[in-house]
Amino acid sequence: MISREEVLNLANLSKLYLDEEEIENIRKEMDSMINFANEINSLDAKCEKLPEINNISNAFREDEIVESYPQEEILKNVDGGREGFFYIKKSN
Amino acid sequence: MDLGKRGAIKKINKLLTDKEISCKELTNRYIEEIEKSDLNAYVIMCEDNALKSAEKVDKKISLGEKIGVLEGIPMTLKDNISTTGIETKCCSKILEGYKPIYNATAWELLQNKGAVLLGKTNMDEFAMGSACENSCMGRAKNPHDKSRVTGGSSGGGAAAVSGNLAAYALGSDTGGSIRQPASFCGIVGLKPTYGSVSRYGLIAYASSFDQIGPIAQTAEDAAIIFDAICGHDSKDSTSVKIEGGPSYNEINNSIKGLKIGIPKEYYDGVNEEVKSSIEKAMKVYESLGAKIEYFSLPEVKYSLPVYYILVCAEAASNLARFDGVRYGYRTENYKDINEMMCKTRSEGFGAEVKRRILLGNYVLSSGYYDAYYKKAQDLRKVIANAFNGAFEKFDVFLTPTSPFTAFEAGKEYGSPTEIYLADICTAPVNTVGIPGISVPCGFDSKNLPIGMQILGAKFSEAKLLNVAHQYEIATNYENNKCLETGVRL
Repeated sequence: MISREEVLNLANLSKLYLDEEEIENIRKEMDSMINFANEINSLDAKCEKLPEINNISNAFREDEIVESYPQEEILKNVDGGREGFFYIKKSN
Repeated sequence: MDLGKRGAIKKINKLLTDKEISCKELTNRYIEEIEKSDLNAYVIMCEDNALKSAEKVDKKISLGEKIGVLEGIPMTLKDNISTTGIETKCCSKILEGYKPIYNATAWELLQNKGAVLLGKTNMDEFAMGSACENSCMGRAKNPHDKSRVTGGSSGGGAAAVSGNLAAYALGSDTGGSIRQPASFCGIVGLKPTYGSVSRYGLIAYASSFDQIGPIAQTAEDAAIIFDAICGHDSKDSTSVKIEGGPSYNEINNSIKGLKIGIPKEYYDGVNEEVKSSIEKAMKVYESLGAKIEYFSLPEVKYSLPVYYILVCAEAASNLARFDGVRYGYRTENYKDINEMMCKTRSEGFGAEVKRRILLGNYVLSSGYYDAYYKKAQDLRKVIANAFNGAFEKFDVFLTPTSPFTAFEAGKEYGSPTEIYLADICTAPVNTVGIPGISVPCGFDSKNLPIGMQILGAKFSEAKLLNVAHQYEIATNYENNKCLETGVRL
């Protein structure tokens, strides 16, 4: 089974806090999910000559300056921000 | 107001142009029915905007101006499709209060055609789920049996269309999220080819899988909506210009001589009633002159683990943007920015979302990247190659949409991976990037709808809609049952 340390490392990478109960549940669930993912290990994937999946070439536009969204509109989603910036409390 | 057969769009268009009802009256009727309903299909209502849009349409009609086919049609959007100034939260606590400052292109296109947006509909949080039970707004209920799930993740949209609380809906489909709820709710759902419809403004779950598409009463309605939302958008560099004319112009084509492939692997472990219902549909197609042939597509079997590895990896990076800094929920007390982000995310995301982020970071982390992520990417190409090869032989495939019908809500159905198996029939389509449509094809012994799925090569939407429409006509819409709820036209 995936170790407690590994779960904590993943939680750290994912910026998530897990409580004790969650850690144990995740260990069990991750185990079944990893076994499920392991189903592909036995398969041979010869794909060097195959095309990319969504074989779409990027459709670039001309690099022209277009009007962007107003700062104050964007900041409405965080109570207006402060002096045109996103604002969070200062660390102690 | 009964104009006979199913299909809402042309019916409403006729009612409006014949002045049998005003758009405002009609919109008010939908709003009243939504308020009375206990389906929990809607998570936010837009009454004022809807009535304003309706008044504009009425004004046009009173002036004797011609209106477009989608003009004045009351509809709904999934809660992950951005709407300017209207809360769009993917049914997640982490996006509570978020009001986009721009419209998703698909919505912008419909709005420009005069669509009347009634509200936003329920979904599994960030589209992660197959039952619409992972929603911070509570589950949506299946109008055919309220004790059962709607399917997911676009469960609210499917419930709204099936329960006659909207003429049509836009959903999104990453691994079946349009088709499976459409199947569970007895309506039509189209997942277009990757790149057909702009994803601009669709809040990303797995960017190389996600696609916006219509949920509608009939294939004809779905064709009208698809034609209105497809096409290249300079704001989505993966969107493409569609060759050929509107799919609507093709729906009445004869399907005599059509080659329908039946990939055997799709029928393994499928419920007997579902199977026999699709076999009946095969007979209908044969009577229309199509040729049915069984064949083997063994690659389907490993497309599900490939799908889950890749979508979790993409989700882990896409959902990294929810950090509490720029929008949505932010935790109350924290001592530094790291704690602020961790607490915000831990409090804001639900269990299934956390699970997928953790698995995604696992398959992307060094030591596992080659064994899982890269291997899955390679196999994705192998699977796509197998599908493309088969489409050289067949015009379309016919499969079940789901191995079973709508299941009971609120029950534990085993481990997450056992639940993931529910996507076995739908996920390969997104893995390969092709289009797929779910069409109602019967009812089981509990009177629950059964859906069949028609798949085609990339950009074959017109063909799929044609094949679906011909079936609906041949069966006289007997499987697109109109429920005695909501606004009956």
